Parts: sequence; structure tokens; C-alpha cells
Amino acid sequence: MRRIERLINLIAALLEAETPMTAEAIRKRIHGYETDNHEAFRRTFERDKADLKTMGIPLETRQLSTFGDDPPGYIIPKSSYYLPELDLEPDELAALRIAAGAVLGVEEEAGTGVMKLSMGAIDETSSAARLAWNADVAASQPLLGPLYAAVAERVPITFDYQPAGTDEPATRRVEPYALVHRKGHWYLVGRDDRSGETRTFKVARIAGAVKRNEGSYEIPPGFSTEGHVLTPTGGDNDDVVARIRFDKTLRWWPEQNLAGAAATDGPDGSYEVEMPVASLDALVAFAVWWGPKVEILEPPEARERMRQRLTDAAR
Amino acid sequence: VTQKSSDRLARRLQRILLLIPYAIKHPGVSVDELSAKFEVPRAALVEDLNLLFMCGLPGYGPGDLIDVDFDSGYVYVRMADYFAAPLKLAPVEALALYAGGAAMASMPEMDEADALRRALTKLGTALGTTDEGAPVVDVRFEADPSEHLKALQHALAAYRRVRIEYYSASSGELTTRDVDPWTLYAALGRWYLIGSDHQSGEERMFRVDRIKSAEMLGDHVEIPANFDPNAYSGAFRERSGQAIATFEISPRTTRWFEEYYPVRKATTGPDGWRSIEIAYGKPQWVASLVLSLGDEVRAVAPTEVAAATRTLAAEILKLYA
Repeated sequence: MRRIERLINLIAALLEAETPMTAEAIRKRIHGYETDNHEAFRRTFERDKADLKTMGIPLETRQLSTFGDDPPGYIIPKSSYYLPELDLEPDELAALRIAAGAVLGVEEEAGTGVMKLSMGAIDETSSAARLAWNADVAASQPLLGPLYAAVAERVPITFDYQPAGTDEPATRRVEPYALVHRKGHWYLVGRDDRSGETRTFKVARIAGAVKRNEGSYEIPPGFSTEGHVLTPTGGDNDDVVARIRFDKTLRWWPEQNLAGAAATDGPDGSYEVEMPVASLDALVAFAVWWGPKVEILEPPEARERMRQRLTDAAR
Repeated sequence: VTQKSSDRLARRLQRILLLIPYAIKHPGVSVDELSAKFEVPRAALVEDLNLLFMCGLPGYGPGDLIDVDFDSGYVYVRMADYFAAPLKLAPVEALALYAGGAAMASMPEMDEADALRRALTKLGTALGTTDEGAPVVDVRFEADPSEHLKALQHALAAYRRVRIEYYSASSGELTTRDVDPWTLYAALGRWYLIGSDHQSGEERMFRVDRIKSAEMLGDHVEIPANFDPNAYSGAFRERSGQAIATFEISPRTTRWFEEYYPVRKATTGPDGWRSIEIAYGKPQWVASLVLSLGDEVRAVAPTEVAAATRTLAAEILKLYA
């Protein structure tokens, strides 16, 4: 009997089992395991168990009695094996099918996902027409799976984390609250055991494996991902309203990209527009990238900061 | 057992666990159709089906084994009700779909927009929520709005060349270029146009929000067979022969800098400032970067970059004098 046949038999038996099966019952009853060599069986079964878990098959170990000496039993609960019904309409599946064809690096996984969800309700195979776009969603990052599982199951975890600008990773214990994607990067937001506060961890900076700890926790009421992910503009909150002048050669940019913002015509064909920004520093950085064609008009503190910065740099 | 052979086994098992419910749901589906759907050669598919003759429930008698019949070229799988529904989505399958859908939702004027929004709501709920119903997976794909995306999509679909007016941040100039569009690419919260630039004769990446105008031309576009959008992972592709600039950034800046700029090398000094190496095309680009960082940056080299920084600072300063 081939290994893959044995694994299919194991999955079938443990899915259909009404009560967990002990290792001994598995050895005696499941086709592919029968051997009188107990040590050989133990090794085979351990390897199969580990592989099924890696494949995402929810094989669970259950203590069958309160007496520690009794051997445990194994089962695959139907409720955690089967895909739950998502009630996706054919047009919804078709939209997901298009998205699946455009994700870079994980097209195959996304395609399998669509197949599982639709089961032939739509044409799952990618259409002959070339997709005119691609998206880099960075989902091929291998730690996303275990991190997502921890969030979904509320399992505390430990991992080594090396923030940007440090040379050594440090061990963190975290109760994960959410997995967040912003501007091409994935982040884990959760309670950091060391500080007792909600912290954000960039997934790409988690070194090595994620270890699941004992116990569970609750996500605090009122928790929101808002404001937990830093970007070059300082954060998610736009606290400063700036007034910026684009010269006549650049007025097309705010006209196209800041449509709806309060704006007026300025001198010499220029265009003056109001724009919310996260901080004075973010505003100054934004304006500098346009060179001498863009001028900050308000607030005055931003003009002063710009003058100071440029005076220092021009020396 | 090597990693490779166990990966192969895992893929095959996953395929079979999907193949069985598919065949149960579509009794009489042809072997050829299954082979096309699952993108495996017919022979491999037949091997998968042959395997099932030996599988079933303990007892393994005629009433316990899976009943497979495909002699006629049409497939019937019976006695496997426990495999009638597929295995739940693996995390990477669900996350790739959800994030890909979010990226797609950021495109303008899409026929599927409404259906996609409904799908994402259902998928987001299935991925899990807090006790208060907030999704625990939060994907935001706020690509810059741009009216030119649609025009570029049309040109791509028609395999036609485009003429764009493009503002280059490194030169501060607006130039007109003819580009053979190869793909639109969403990354780092922005849309990019990737294609062949006739002016330079090179493969280039253009930020869509910096395109002032886009016009479709009559010329037909051939996309090179070896073009691989994956080469633009992280929205950056280093060109050979670029010069290297070095500078130091403050401990505060290190918290985000290396996530956003293609740093080649970095080391932390005793005072926590970090020494950075970065490749550049035009010194003006590094000058803008340095000025955007203000006093969070020091020790800028080489001379041409330091000089460009002083010149640019003096030019902008005129506005604030």
C-alpha cells in the first residue's frame, strides 16, 4: 500500500469516527498501518500525523479519560475539516476568480481557493484573455498561515522579532488581535507581553518560526486596527490641514489626484489646494519631493520648518 | 524523505481531496474535463482515480471502499459521502484571495465592483471577527485614484502603444514618452505601469498618479514572452550599473525607512544611527530623499549627491525667503 493511500484511509476513518480512535485501534483497523512491529508503526504514524497537520488537515489529539495513563485518541472533527458554506453567488465567485488570476506569487493557492468555493458553479480555469493587471499582495510570506491561525483561534504565540534598525532579534510573547495589510506589507497587531500594550509587528521582520503557547485570551472590546500601522506619513490619522500651491506646470496633479479638495486658482496660473496630512514633517517631506514647483502656504509652522530645513541643507 | 518529495505528496493529496468532492458533485464529468479543470495531465488524473480503489473505511469490504468508475471516460465516485465537501480554505488560499480582491476593488469603473464588494464582505466574515463583529483580517488597498487607469487598461486589452506625459520626480521634468504597456501593477499602495519606454529603449516602471495625460496610439504591442511581473516584487527593480549613495539615518527613521526604500546594505553605529547604502539613477532623486528626511539624515555621500542636495535646497528656499 502506498503512503498516499494510507493517508487517505486515515483521513476517511478519522472523519467518520464517532469517537476518537486510539493509536492501537488505528494500527489494527486502518488499512496501511497493520504491522506487528510497534516501533515501526509509531514512527509511521507520527510522521503521518505531522504531515497532515502541515497540510492544514485538522487532526486533533484528545485525552480519552481523566486518568493520565490512558492513551490519547485521534479524530478529525467534521466541523473543522469541511469548508463552511459561504453562500457566494455566481457573480461573486466570478469576481474572485478574476482577482485570483492577478495575485503575484500565490496565483495557484488563490486558484485552489476559488475552486473550493465554487465547485464548478463557474468556470474556474483562468480565461484565455490576458489579465491587464497584477497585484503584489505579499501573501507568499510563509508565516502568514500560522499567524492567521493564531489570530483566528486566539492562541498566544512567541516569536523572535527584529525591528528595523536593530541588529539582533528579541523574543516576544504576543496575544494576536488582527492581521493587517497596508501599502504592500503585512502586520500583526496584538498585545505585547513585555510592555502590556497593543503593538504592531511587521510580519517580514519576524525571524524563524512562530510558537503556539498554552492558554487563550479575548480581544478587548473596542479594539480597532485604526492607528496601529506606521507609514512614512506618520500614521493613519490626518491631523493637519495644509494649503499647498502647485505651479502652473503641475496644476494637473492636484486636479487629477486630489479631486474634491477645496481649491482656488493662484497667481500665474498656479493652483492652491487644501490637503489633510498626518503631521508637519509629513507635509514638509511631501512638498520637498516636488522641488521648487510646489510651495506650502499654510500652516505657518510648516513654512518655518521648511525654511529652517532648507537653510541648514543649503549650507 | 526530502522536502521536495513531501511537498509533492502534499500537493497531490490536496488535489485528490478536492477532486473527489468535485466528481461527487458532478456525476459523469469526463476525465478530460477534470484534467483541464485541475490543470494536470490526463495520465496523472487517471492515476489519482486509480488510487481510490484501495481507499475507504475500516472493514474495507465492498460496502466500505470508495466506489470509482471511469472506464467509459466519464467519472462516477460513490460511497465517499465523507468526502462530498472540500477541505476548508488553507490560510494562504483565503488570504491571497481576500487581498487580491481588495486590490481589484481599488480599480476604477469595474463591471464586477458590486459583486466583488459582496464577495469580500462574505470572505472577510468567514476569515473571522472579534466578538463585536470587526474582521480580524484587515486588508486596505488604497491605491491612488487616477483617471488614467481606465485608459491604460483599454490600451493593454487592445495591445496598443500609449503616449504619456509623465512627471519624473528625479528630474523634476514633465516629459512625453511612448510606452508599450505590458501590465498594470499594484504594489505598496500604488498603481504602476510597466512597459517598454521608447525614449530610453528600456523596460521601465511608471507611477500612474504621475501621468498627466495618456493617449492610445495605433501601434501594435508585442509583449516579450519572457516578461515576468514577479521581477517587480516590492515595486522596485534595480538596474545594473547604478551608482551608490550612502548616508546615515536617525534611530527614529529606521523604524520605517528600510520598508519603503530599496536599501542595499545597512549597519547600525554605536549611537544608534544607521548607515545606509542605496542605488540611484539621478543624484536629484537622492537629494529629494535627503531633504524629505531633514535632520533625520546626515553624512551624505558621494560629492555629486551632496552637491545636488545643496543646489536643490537653495532652489526651493527661494519660495520661503
